[in-house]
Amino acid sequence: MEQAAPDLERPLQPAPLEPLGHPDAGPEAAVGEEAEGAPDEEGPGDRTMTENNFCLKKIEISVSEAEKRTGRNAMNMQETYTAYLVETRSVEHIDGPSVLTDSLWRRYSEFELLRNYLLVYYPHIVVPPLPEKRAEFVWHKLSADNMDPDFVERRRIGLENFLLRVASHPILCRDKIFYLFLTQEGNWKEIVNETGFQLKADSRLKALNATFRVKNPDKRFTELKHYSDELQSVISHLLRVRARVADRLYGVYKVHGNYGRVFSEWSAIEKEMGDGLQSAGHHMDVAVCRKHELMQYDLEMAAQDLASKKQQCEELATGTVRTFSLKGMTTKLFGQETPEQRESRIKVLEEQISEGEQQLKAKNLEGREFVKNAWADIERFKEQKNRDLKEALISYAVMQISMCKKGIQVWTNAKECFSKM
Amino acid sequence: MSGGLPKALPSTGPHSLRDMPHPLAGSSSEEAVGGDSTPSPDLLTARSFGDKDLILPNGGTPAGTSSPASSSSLLNRLQLDDDIDGETRDLFVTVDDPKKHVCTMETYITYRITTKSTRVEFDLPEYSVRRRYQDFDWLRSKLEESQPTHLIPPLPEKFVVKGVVDRFSEEFVETRRKALDKFLKRITDHPVLSFNEHFNVFLTAKDLNAYKKQGMALLSRVGESVKHVTGGYKLRSRPLEFAAIGEYLDTFALKLGTIDRIAQRIIKEEIEYLVELREYGPVYSTWSALEGELAEPLEGVSACIGNCSTALEELTDDMTEDFLPVLREYILYSDSMKSVLKKRDQVQAEYEAKLEAVALRKEDRPKVPSDVEKCQDRMECFNADLKADMERWQNNKRQDFRQLLMGMADKNIQYYEKCLMAWESIIPLLQEKQEAK
Repeated sequence: MEQAAPDLERPLQPAPLEPLGHPDAGPEAAVGEEAEGAPDEEGPGDRTMTENNFCLKKIEISVSEAEKRTGRNAMNMQETYTAYLVETRSVEHIDGPSVLTDSLWRRYSEFELLRNYLLVYYPHIVVPPLPEKRAEFVWHKLSADNMDPDFVERRRIGLENFLLRVASHPILCRDKIFYLFLTQEGNWKEIVNETGFQLKADSRLKALNATFRVKNPDKRFTELKHYSDELQSVISHLLRVRARVADRLYGVYKVHGNYGRVFSEWSAIEKEMGDGLQSAGHHMDVAVCRKHELMQYDLEMAAQDLASKKQQCEELATGTVRTFSLKGMTTKLFGQETPEQRESRIKVLEEQISEGEQQLKAKNLEGREFVKNAWADIERFKEQKNRDLKEALISYAVMQISMCKKGIQVWTNAKECFSKM
Repeated sequence: MSGGLPKALPSTGPHSLRDMPHPLAGSSSEEAVGGDSTPSPDLLTARSFGDKDLILPNGGTPAGTSSPASSSSLLNRLQLDDDIDGETRDLFVTVDDPKKHVCTMETYITYRITTKSTRVEFDLPEYSVRRRYQDFDWLRSKLEESQPTHLIPPLPEKFVVKGVVDRFSEEFVETRRKALDKFLKRITDHPVLSFNEHFNVFLTAKDLNAYKKQGMALLSRVGESVKHVTGGYKLRSRPLEFAAIGEYLDTFALKLGTIDRIAQRIIKEEIEYLVELREYGPVYSTWSALEGELAEPLEGVSACIGNCSTALEELTDDMTEDFLPVLREYILYSDSMKSVLKKRDQVQAEYEAKLEAVALRKEDRPKVPSDVEKCQDRMECFNADLKADMERWQNNKRQDFRQLLMGMADKNIQYYEKCLMAWESIIPLLQEKQEAK
């Protein structure tokens, strides 16, 4: 697997865990890389986004504008798309002025590319979600039109949130590709593709798609997976119904408008809550759990492998056959091997055993490290999620309150008019 | 119940009733419903006839008496009408206590009518009878017959589509009860209609059916005379003021119809919104069951949405039960008023035709024949009565709509206040844990 482009201006997270079975994979490489990446700055209980994030202190990111563009796509056909202006500002001192350091245009597909890259290279991290690709939960009977200004605006906010979350993640913020996304407009796509992450993704994907039955699944991950499945289902139900609720409420207000002389027109459009909830739905990355399952499966395979090799060794040494095997039969039928042959065979086996044992150790360690890091990130994510959701719910409640107050005001005014009748 | 013979009392009230034996004399048949509460047998309470003479509005004389309604007596009527309000009111009628009756042939509802009065026309100070819708319907027809020059208040709609509306549901019965109560109160407040004999019998008779069967016994002279107008006369032109009334009523009914349609549409939309809300709230509960720290706030949101749903349901119920029926009543009212206008046109047409016929006869009679004179009387009485009623109607209409619309605004304010309270109560729930951190 190839590394990213060698020019390093900021600390680069080296390509993480190699695919299993790779000859270069060794316990040192795995352990070393994890140690380097381990966010020790996360003290006990201190997982807030704002502190200990040198990334956020140093830079401000915003997706400030959206623009319609036309161009030619890969098949040389005309297409219309929306480009978003990504601006990065650096803040020299706290409360000091921010200076615009970088400014470039990105389209949604590039955001997607960045995210997919992060997904592959940081399998144990919950990567923040992107806003929806299509207008899935539409209301006010708008068509699912990607050019609709409301949709574009919601997307702009979602993209900004995405970048801010990546930038405030202790590990992700240090990624080179992320840095280049913010700073290098041209050629960025080629650089990402050169990392070969897509091949990794493919192989991982293939492995993931197989149904694994883990024998001793870590209960925490099973529960987590169960939770995320349920959450996904609940959230998508919620968003669907919410879109219908909004639709109907809009209908009620619209008809009130027909009263003309006695009522003022009113329309309610929800913006903030929509984004928060949508992100929550995407949040839980099931792949984290599945990758863990993958690890365990390999562990068990290695253990089984070792066990059978040990058994083989024993059999040869004692000359007894524990379980029926053709090989055993043939030696019995056609005579035994010479002691020399047996010795050399034992030696090979012993080497294989020690190698296997080492592999198992490495896998075990890898597994534990993975679990530890993944769990740490999940905890961080959980708290972030709880915070985000609470904020979203508060702003939803605040919006409802302001709607109620407006309603009271409208009808109180109307009542006063009526009282003068 | 008054079972004795009418007493010869000095009174200037309507003569016709006094001249007839009381219809209930000797009647012993029970009403279909047993258990009527008989008022206490305080037979005679002292009545100050002097006062009554003063406050008596127009003596309740049916318009059919021979004395023409001069402008001065019309003025008297209008002035004295104002005095009817407040302390001078001497007749109170209430409709309440609906009860269902199941008989072999049919099932129906009766309502209790309670009457309290110091008027001489009532033998007892208090009455309590039970009536069903068809009795009200009968009363209204009788009033239209016997008081054709007056505006008779509307009844709630007679027919209901059987599959769609439950005639025996609490909401329907209550809505109808309110409308029937309004109907009787409007008659009570009317200086002429409230003295109508049929109205009196309706309020007091133990066996109304027996009275009904007596048929045309108490038909007033006007009723008869108006009935004889065959309607073959065509009016050339409506006098300006009545034309104006006619146009007003046309536009009024149109506007009310539009408001009715809009209100119905609003209710329909609100109900559909309610359906979605009822699904929306519980999803937060389901979500809450998955969460740890967020469980309580999410459950709070679910309860909050539930409260808003309940508040909305109350609002739509109120609108359906209180707002729409009054609109419809007024549409019916204006319809019946338009037919009274047409009847007035008929009377005028007859008079004009007869007058013309006389003129064409070219007979050298200085004196106008008596039947033409009678036509003129009729027309002028009609005009006077109608104008007085229109003014009264306009006043009442203004008050009714003021009350109706303020009530509607109130209900909406209450709805929003309930929702506001619900949402404000969950904010601390959402915030507290954050601070505890």
